[in-house]
Amino acid sequence: MSSSSILELRGISKTFASTTALSPLDLDIERGSFVSIVGPSGCGKSTLFNILSGLIQPDNGSISLEDQNVIGATGHVGYMLQKDLLVPWRTVLGNITLGARLKGKVGPEDKEQAMGFAQKYGLGEFLHHYPSALSGGMRQRVALMRTLATNHQLLLLDEPFGALDAQTRFEMQQWLLQVWRDTQRTVLFITHDVDEAVFLSDRVLVMSPRPGRVVDDLRVDLPRPRTLDTLVSPAFTDLKSRVLHQLHRERGA
Amino acid sequence: MTKKKLLLNIFGPILSVVVLLGLWQAIVVWGNVAPYIAPKPWDAIRAVTSNWSTLAPLTWWTIKETIYGYLVGAFLGAFLGVVLNKIPLMQRVLYPLLILTQAIPIIALAPPLVMILGFGVMPKVVIVAWIVFFPVTVSVLDGLNHVDKDLMTLAKVFGANSMRRFVVLEMPAAITQLFSGLKIGATYAVTGAIIGELAASSGSSLALYQRSASGSLDAAGVYGTTLLMTAIGIIWFLLVVGAEYLATPWQRRSTARQWRRGAKPVLTNN
Repeated sequence: MSSSSILELRGISKTFASTTALSPLDLDIERGSFVSIVGPSGCGKSTLFNILSGLIQPDNGSISLEDQNVIGATGHVGYMLQKDLLVPWRTVLGNITLGARLKGKVGPEDKEQAMGFAQKYGLGEFLHHYPSALSGGMRQRVALMRTLATNHQLLLLDEPFGALDAQTRFEMQQWLLQVWRDTQRTVLFITHDVDEAVFLSDRVLVMSPRPGRVVDDLRVDLPRPRTLDTLVSPAFTDLKSRVLHQLHRERGA
Repeated sequence: MTKKKLLLNIFGPILSVVVLLGLWQAIVVWGNVAPYIAPKPWDAIRAVTSNWSTLAPLTWWTIKETIYGYLVGAFLGAFLGVVLNKIPLMQRVLYPLLILTQAIPIIALAPPLVMILGFGVMPKVVIVAWIVFFPVTVSVLDGLNHVDKDLMTLAKVFGANSMRRFVVLEMPAAITQLFSGLKIGATYAVTGAIIGELAASSGSSLALYQRSASGSLDAAGVYGTTLLMTAIGIIWFLLVVGAEYLATPWQRRSTARQWRRGAKPVLTNN
């Protein structure tokens, strides 16, 4: 394994009944990078996430996360979905520390860390609010804080902003980039939105179904920090058009 | 809840009870109803207060039967709900039995219970528990079955074992449902105690007191006892509602209560 890789997949494959959800996949993810995965439904991206998070076992292959074999084991990645999955009976603070509670007791250092995150990322005034009092964007922030608070180096984000309106979504994307830069985590990000993938990432993986596989692997060398101007730059448009063509070629369009 | 809403919540029910009593009074007075058919409401209430020294110990017994039976039924009901949810096989084995328990006419249950348990407090407790456990089981089972699957998946990914998932997520998630079962049970609990007293009392009880009042055409005593029994049921129901209020602050507040100095709670308008 190269020293800069945090995650190394070798020959990972998965078949359900007679459908090849994921054909043998090799993948190296660089420590601290932001990698997006785009592709139509059935392309195996959710299967890949389920394998990485330990929910399902691959049929073959090996996964090495920070030099540990993690096949079939849970509790080693941060994980976030489109649904914020905040629990209504816990406050913002209680939701951010949910990971610690699920592993045992919430200690003072867990609380301190959670309060630190909340204060730094605009939730400081809402620590003792119940989720029902928060807007959709704020709820997703809390969900991301909860993911960060598990203190895993690798974060799996599965369309986290898919349910937000365009305006909020853009704010959240910039906010996510700030959090990512500050905390130096490694992010794997599933999305349907090609703009989102290119805007956020260092690297975009394009996947295709039947059998699920990676058909393109693009470096995104757009300068950071990325802003509104990034979205209208020619380089952005070029990358976006390449991804779109890849996606549509694969669909036979 | 705003102040206005709070006042409405308190005075609304009082107003409707007063109107009801007024209607009763009007029918009895203007309809020339004979006193052995229906007393005036005030006479019914006085029949209770003037005989309070006799009624107080009987009332206390009924309250005890209700509370004991209710607690047994509630815990048993919640436990069964969890068992049915956690052990799918049990749904096949136990569910038909549970339906069977509720198909037995509750009055027909009393004679065998007297044979087994005698005339003491036990058969009444069993009857109350018998009635109360079922809605609690059904509601807890329903609550547990509807816990967000994705939330449970998330907890698994976070590395939580099944015990932690249950305590931290499933139990609190089912609490709203639990209370709807508890409230239904609360309205039935006193009914169960009185049925038990009617069918399984040898000495004195509220139910027998009413029966003897009926035998001597003491309408005020009969109606008064009914009011007394109803009051027990209502008070118990309100206590359960109060427990729900305390146990589920997130359903009415936007912030958690902070016990530290200087922190102000924010009230929502609902």
